[in-house]
Amino acid sequence: MRRPTPLLATLLVATAVALGGCGGSDDDDPPPDATTTQSDSPIRIGSKNFPEQAILGELYGQALRAKGFEVVLKPDIGSTEIIHRALRRGALDMYPEYIGVLLSEVARERERPPSSGAAYDAAQRFENESDFTLLAQTPFTDSNALAVKPSFAKRHRLRTIADLARLKGKVEVAALAEFETRFEGLDGLKEVYGLSNLDVLEVKGAERYTALDGGRTDVASVFTTESQLASDNYVLLGDPERLFASGHVAPIVSDALLEAHGDKLRTAVDAVTRTLTTPAMREMNAAVVVQKRAPAAVAAQFLRARGLL
Amino acid sequence: MLRRSLRTQITTKVVAISAAAAVLLGAVLVVLIVAVTGQRDAARTAFRSQEALGLANQLEKSLLSIESGLNRYVTTEGGMSYLRAARRELAAYPARTKRLVALVSDDPGQQQRVREIADKIDDYDQFWAQGLIEIAREDGFASAQSQVKTDGGRSQLDEIRRQFDTLFVRESSVIRTRERSAERLSARAIGFGVGGLGLVLAIAAGFTLYLRRSVLRPVRTVADATGRLAAGDLTTRVPAQREDELGELARGFNSMADSLERGRDELERSNAELTRSNAELEQFASVTSHDLQAPLTTISMYTELLERRRGNGAGAGKGASGELDLVDGIRDATQQARGLIRDLLEYSRAGRGNLVLEEVPAALVVEQALELLAGAVDESGAQVTVGELPVVLADRPNLCRVFQNLVGNAVKFSGGHTPHVSIEAEREGEHWRFSVRDDGIGMDPEHAKRIFEPFQRLHGEEDYPGTGIGLAVCERIVDQHGGRIWVTSSPGEGSVFHFTLPAAAGARTEPPRVGARA
Repeated sequence: MRRPTPLLATLLVATAVALGGCGGSDDDDPPPDATTTQSDSPIRIGSKNFPEQAILGELYGQALRAKGFEVVLKPDIGSTEIIHRALRRGALDMYPEYIGVLLSEVARERERPPSSGAAYDAAQRFENESDFTLLAQTPFTDSNALAVKPSFAKRHRLRTIADLARLKGKVEVAALAEFETRFEGLDGLKEVYGLSNLDVLEVKGAERYTALDGGRTDVASVFTTESQLASDNYVLLGDPERLFASGHVAPIVSDALLEAHGDKLRTAVDAVTRTLTTPAMREMNAAVVVQKRAPAAVAAQFLRARGLL
Repeated sequence: MLRRSLRTQITTKVVAISAAAAVLLGAVLVVLIVAVTGQRDAARTAFRSQEALGLANQLEKSLLSIESGLNRYVTTEGGMSYLRAARRELAAYPARTKRLVALVSDDPGQQQRVREIADKIDDYDQFWAQGLIEIAREDGFASAQSQVKTDGGRSQLDEIRRQFDTLFVRESSVIRTRERSAERLSARAIGFGVGGLGLVLAIAAGFTLYLRRSVLRPVRTVADATGRLAAGDLTTRVPAQREDELGELARGFNSMADSLERGRDELERSNAELTRSNAELEQFASVTSHDLQAPLTTISMYTELLERRRGNGAGAGKGASGELDLVDGIRDATQQARGLIRDLLEYSRAGRGNLVLEEVPAALVVEQALELLAGAVDESGAQVTVGELPVVLADRPNLCRVFQNLVGNAVKFSGGHTPHVSIEAEREGEHWRFSVRDDGIGMDPEHAKRIFEPFQRLHGEEDYPGTGIGLAVCERIVDQHGGRIWVTSSPGEGSVFHFTLPAAAGARTEPPRVGARA
């Protein structure tokens, strides 16, 4: 682990100050250290451009503000590819990311991890290599999955993704645009399951479900915390090869930020993360998507109920 | 003093009206300046708002250029001209947003909105534009193309566009509001200007009318009156009711005319007096020379006879008594001449010298006069009755003289029977009228005036002796006291001589001290 513990950091700073004070000339004094600057400027928390991410951004942002941190929320930034680059470039200090997507699309890990714990460790190692840290992951999991109508599954006796290979002709999948070029998408399905009969119907958001309902496609690419899945209208196909590695979410933060704020930040973030179970996340998603409530209000209500605000 | 300070003088009015007009003009000017300044400010802000609108429009368009530049760069898989165009626009926006902030500096809400827009454009650049370019380079254009398909930057642009729309709406409404307020202001200014000028003109017209009516006309009236006065009409007067400077002028004119008129009247009076006294003098000279001629002729003739008789020596026995008769004649004539000269002296004295006026009980004076007349009264056996007489303001010896002459005449012209004389007084306004009544021979009313002229006699001296100076003396004395004297009479019916004297202040009557005298 590259990140120094707070105690060590304090010692280092103290030593540096002591040395400067003992005999070094003024010229040798270190410039005002980055730590100070970092703790003065607001924490920039980013989130991607769909409802669950907006809620997560609000949850972390509001909880941190309640603990006295200064926070600027940058919602609606874009896909993983876009937001992770912004983080690396220093335009963001922190954002919540899905472990599986991080491994597949950013770390370009093609080997499927055997468990979610292994996936977390792999993702942590990857981030540590470039001065970032993965904080604790959520209890809930929102992974990619393929959904079909129950009647369709019954008719073709479909249980797992691999069963799609038996279907004759092209199988159209209703999916978001990035599905076509992702490993946890068309690429991975080809490579891991050998599915070459898939075609993508590019749609936006909830249209994936309506496309399925209206019979425009037979399969839809979904996320497991989406509120539509609470009903019995859809069946998720099994993923025995663990293509969709892990749907747990963990905030990625810059090491500089952690150094500046120490355990206080980590404790505050982890306190939020711990409460985010799958039912809690589904309920909040439904509140935003179905009831059309503002993500900020939904997040505030949740945090208050758990004494975090 | 208070009244004088309170009354509105012309000077005060003129100053007040001029001040009011000046204040009004000043106020109109101030309103106009304020209006013009306001309009200029409104125009300036409206211009800035227009400029801000233009710049915001340009910014919004440049965002579209950035988006389409990036998209084309990705879809053409490396069209560098599109990328350069997008980067050029990206490099330009900070300066543009800064300028926009300056343009809307008078509207904090708009300024905040522009800052938010600038932040969002910044985010768009940081997160989307740079991210997309990196993906294209590192992961290939296919990945970038699928990113474009996710509409990742679109929602941010839409948000920015919404902010711009709000900005436009707000700025347009600001422009409209300002234009309306500028129009209102200018309409109000024109109204104020026209109204104020009208008011000033009205004040000027009113002032002119006021000057014509209240100043010029009275001045002309006084000027006309002065002309008439100069032409000799001393009765000319002007109205002087006003309480201002013109009132003072009119009053001054009137008192000048009064004084001129008084002077002229006095002059005329003294002229008449001179004429009268001149006539009297002429008559006096003629009467005196005529009356004195008679005794002197007698004396001269008798003296001649005496001389002749002495020269002839004839009739010695009879001659002595004849000479004595002549000497008697000479003595009589000499006495007559002396009496004439005494009366003459009296008359001339009565017309001269200062009166010593005092409050005199008339009863006392009458008593004194009757004492002086005691001989004549007793001789004729006359009965004199004195009524209730007042105290008057008079010169005592002169008043005594008047009563003495009047009572003396009443006794003298009795016509042979025992005379009855009564003296009474009656109040007539500011005067007392005294009457001396007799039952004598009376006279023809046509002589009523003539008898008061000196040396005028109605009867021969052999019938009623006297020089005819007594009543002339009475008239002179009464006249000097400011009273008048006249007679009412007819032949055989007796006469009543009246004369008036001014009453003494707080005059009272005194009980008669002489009730009746036989």
